[in-house]
Amino acid sequence: MMGALHAHPSPPLLAVENIQKAFPGVRALSGVAFEVRAGEVHALLGENGAGKSTLIKIISGVYQPDSGNILIDGRRTALSSPDAARRAGVATIYQELLLFPELTVAENIFLGHAPRAAGGRIDWRAMGAKANALLASLDIRDLAADQIVGTLSVGHRQRVEILRALSHDARVLIMDEPTAALTEADVARLFDIVRRLKARGVGIVYISHRMDEIFTIADRVTVLRDGSYVGSKVVADTSSGELVQMMVGRRIESLFPKITVPIGAPIMEARNIVRRPMTRRVSVTVRAGEIVGLAGLVGSGRSELAQTLFGVTPAESGDIRLTGRSVVIDSPETARAHGVAYVPEDRGSQGLIRAMSVLHNFSLAALDGLSRRGFIDRPAERRMAEDGVKRFSVKTNSVDEIAGRLSGGNQQKIVLGKWLANNPKLLILDEPTRGIDVGAKAEIYRLMGELAASGVAILMISSELPEVLGMSDRVLVMREGRIVAEFDRAHASAEAVGGAMMGDNSRVEVAA
Amino acid sequence: MSLASAALTHRMPRWLVRHETILAIILIVALIGLGALNDKFLTVDNLLNQGRLMTEIGLIALPMTFVIVTGGIDLSVGAIVGLSAIMLGYSWKNFGFPLPLAIVFALVVGGVAGFVNGLVITRVKVPPLIMTIATLALYRGLAEGISQARSVRGYPEWFYVLGQGSIFGVPTQLLILILLIVVAGVALDRTTFGRALYAIGANETAARFSALNVDRTKLIVYTLSGLASGLAAIVLVSRVTTTRMDMGMGYELDVIAAVVLGGTSIFGGSGTIWGTVIGLVMIQLLKNGLALTGVKGDATIVVIGLALILSVLIASSLQGRRE
Amino acid sequence: MTAVAAVTHAPARGSLLRRFATQEALLALAIIALAVVVGLINPRFLAARNLSDILLGNAYIAVAAIGMSMVIISGNIDISVGALIGVLATLSGSLAVAGAPVLVTWLAPLALGIVVMAAQGAVVAYLRIPAIVVTLGMLSILKGGLISVTGGKWITDLPASFHLADLSIFGIPMPVVIMATATVLAALWMWYSPRGRAIYATGGNAEAARLCGVDPQRTIVMVFALHGFFAGLATLVYATQLRVIQSTTPAGLELTIITASVVGGVSILGGVGTVIGSTLAAILIAEITSALVFVNVSPYWTDAVRGALILATVIVDIMRRRRRAERG
Repeated sequence: MMGALHAHPSPPLLAVENIQKAFPGVRALSGVAFEVRAGEVHALLGENGAGKSTLIKIISGVYQPDSGNILIDGRRTALSSPDAARRAGVATIYQELLLFPELTVAENIFLGHAPRAAGGRIDWRAMGAKANALLASLDIRDLAADQIVGTLSVGHRQRVEILRALSHDARVLIMDEPTAALTEADVARLFDIVRRLKARGVGIVYISHRMDEIFTIADRVTVLRDGSYVGSKVVADTSSGELVQMMVGRRIESLFPKITVPIGAPIMEARNIVRRPMTRRVSVTVRAGEIVGLAGLVGSGRSELAQTLFGVTPAESGDIRLTGRSVVIDSPETARAHGVAYVPEDRGSQGLIRAMSVLHNFSLAALDGLSRRGFIDRPAERRMAEDGVKRFSVKTNSVDEIAGRLSGGNQQKIVLGKWLANNPKLLILDEPTRGIDVGAKAEIYRLMGELAASGVAILMISSELPEVLGMSDRVLVMREGRIVAEFDRAHASAEAVGGAMMGDNSRVEVAA
Repeated sequence: MSLASAALTHRMPRWLVRHETILAIILIVALIGLGALNDKFLTVDNLLNQGRLMTEIGLIALPMTFVIVTGGIDLSVGAIVGLSAIMLGYSWKNFGFPLPLAIVFALVVGGVAGFVNGLVITRVKVPPLIMTIATLALYRGLAEGISQARSVRGYPEWFYVLGQGSIFGVPTQLLILILLIVVAGVALDRTTFGRALYAIGANETAARFSALNVDRTKLIVYTLSGLASGLAAIVLVSRVTTTRMDMGMGYELDVIAAVVLGGTSIFGGSGTIWGTVIGLVMIQLLKNGLALTGVKGDATIVVIGLALILSVLIASSLQGRRE
Repeated sequence: MTAVAAVTHAPARGSLLRRFATQEALLALAIIALAVVVGLINPRFLAARNLSDILLGNAYIAVAAIGMSMVIISGNIDISVGALIGVLATLSGSLAVAGAPVLVTWLAPLALGIVVMAAQGAVVAYLRIPAIVVTLGMLSILKGGLISVTGGKWITDLPASFHLADLSIFGIPMPVVIMATATVLAALWMWYSPRGRAIYATGGNAEAARLCGVDPQRTIVMVFALHGFFAGLATLVYATQLRVIQSTTPAGLELTIITASVVGGVSILGGVGTVIGSTLAAILIAEITSALVFVNVSPYWTDAVRGALILATVIVDIMRRRRRAERG
């Protein structure tokens, strides 16, 4: 199933065959195969909902497969718990780092298996020495064993997590979206560490949606789609386009129904916006009917900029003009009053209140308009929600249904709909189609087009290059808190934009 | 909140009504039972008197419902009652304020105390539990220090109408309580303010991102909590005719028990004023019933404590909250 | 592939010992400085009798603060300890008056303290009820229970053998010996024992702790049980100094104990702090209380000062944490 590669004398460190896993009402994995060899970086690619995280949880012992085999060093093994997986040499580094902020680096690494001295007491000196040895083994020189983890940057903390995995003699290391919150410099350091781990014979499972990284660091890549195994390729023998096609299953051009729309006067002119620590000095203009794409690596400060423009973290200096008038945006309330809307990046924790009904979510941002002297006009509220459900094709039984029950795509539509009820002049979208099935994506693109046609100015933050290139009239590239490049539609190519995202010392080709 | 619990508690008309119906049924059963045990219980006189006695806790339980719905808590209410009571007596006797002014002053003190809570909670972002434990200590200490443990007596007769008088046979303070119950209930259920409370309790970040003014709303509920404590202090002083520095001690237990018993989740995001009222009445009945069967006053707090723990237990297992 | 990128500044080196030493050193400094200042204003403050009164009369708070610190470090809180000490003191005194062997009167509060607190810990850990609710309820159960059972009567005619606190070892009064020994032993245990470190892990990040093989639930029950033990020990120190035991709960005791822990460096958010700090803080608070009298401030202001102290400490702690989070 994996395809004959080279003849290997020893079995893979970890292999899974024909894994089936279902949850009530949902088949998460069917017939999935995967393997990792010593000294290999094997990337796992797939859209959200493709089954990556379920597979990872099975490999790390959190879930058990309904059927199928797990083989460690060629022998069938049951990973019945996270402990069992760890003993088998599998360690996972999650996106939310699980560290103890008030304890030292050394103690974080060795908590639960600290070296002991006579009488069973903890040998602090030995712990420090071992921690230093681990640091040296990965040539990490800007981290000390006695630093308090809470004072460290995200990049440093991630290294502590990696060291912790190594302290357990991990032979298979799973990294789940490791670069999501890192700066560029930290990404480079991470890759350096990954190469050292490879040289030591550690097998690495690398989950990422960032094509450029996969082509930089991975040896092989496996694609999952809708819980099924699509195929595995040697990275050197494939292209980004082929991988995207495997992920998505259709050619990408048809996904972007871009209509040309007359572009009007500037709706928002932001100049020299500064908000420490992430927004260094940014100037952005968005015109009526225009879709401005904001590209950049994660950590470049795009969401922070959006949240500054929306008033969640108000600007420290700089000025903003909306439809020509100078305004000070000091809170989301003010932003909304001026016609600015923001659909946040994290649907579940920022965009939607999952415990509340569809009805109450729809009206949440427009309550003032729906109420007289503070009293909510319930019939009007219900009408608005029902209209919204119809207009955005939200699949739900009734507006009283709990929002958390709906699929990602429908939830996103509610968040969008909630803000469109205010008839905003400027709509800021932060990763609008992340984690959404392809059908819902197309609907959202269509909606964006309609909005632009009606004169709304749209600022779209996205990490998916095809989306940025397909939908934008202009593309801005952000890096380390500044706008470093601007392209109009004609000149925005994957190479140009990707190159600007990476900076000059990038050796990566980003294929469209 | 888990989705299951959300489904249970936020599908507003049906399930919530059912929760309160259960409580109301228990209440009626308890009423009948206690009435059977003691023939003095179900008299109009006794019931009205109970209404009088439960007003102080009841007044504070209304904004406490708001506070707990937002996912917060206010443990300093008892101490604010003590402080307001002291300031009432002190400003009247030592500053020489005319009594009406002293009454207003006491209210203002309560409001400011609550405002300080809200300010530090929203600006400095100290968790409500910790902030209100600290102000519990501070406000009680201030009451003690300002009063030097001296009581104030001898208020003019007209003042006692509030705490001891009746209008059309109904105790004065009970009328005030009923009015405020209606106001609070309508506010929580039908206004944008009330909706904001539920949103903040369910997901504060999302509420913020939806352009709700979270900080201002929180500031309001903690200030209201302080104001209600001040008002309760005035009613209390009027009822017992003296001002003492240990007034309000232990109120936080009764108030929180009433709110939680009434179905408000301690974790925030759900609850109603109507439920709090039922919880309040149940606790008062408990106390009254125990007293009538000869159990001494102090022992009733044992039962309240048990009731608090049990109701949170039952609520959390019913709502299936598993981390 | 190249060497690690140049570091723009040296990492903030903070050795564990160095960091904790700061907090404890500050407290020790404050104790000395305050004594000097008040001594200048009113030299009678520095009389040996007064200083020993401060220590002896408040040693029990430091002992109780050891357990409270552990509870707060584990990420929880307890407001029932004051009521519990009242109950345990009454129990101990009643047993003594009833003629029970001295050892029994001393061990009974320890045992009951452990049981009552462990039960609360189990409810918090396994039934997932927030600690504030459980301990608030238990506070009333203990308080009301005590009054209804004893009617508030005083226990007099305690046998001479009851008074553990009157004994001394090498000339040092028992309360001080117990306070010092308990503090040192607890501090060593929390530093060197894996179970002790588990408390920090549970309070710092319970989920991460679980992944490291720590059982957060069992740790919480253990912490509460220890807290009950120290509450019982504190009761011994407290009750055996009294000639008469009032069967009531000392007012505001739990607040004083919590203040000692928090001022001693135990962050109310959990995961950090030491028992040495809380003992020093308890001494400092006792010193402040006495100092107020000697500078002619009415003792009725003591509680306000204590309240201001805990409020200030909490605010500073939270602000410090936020600033650190924003930087990193």
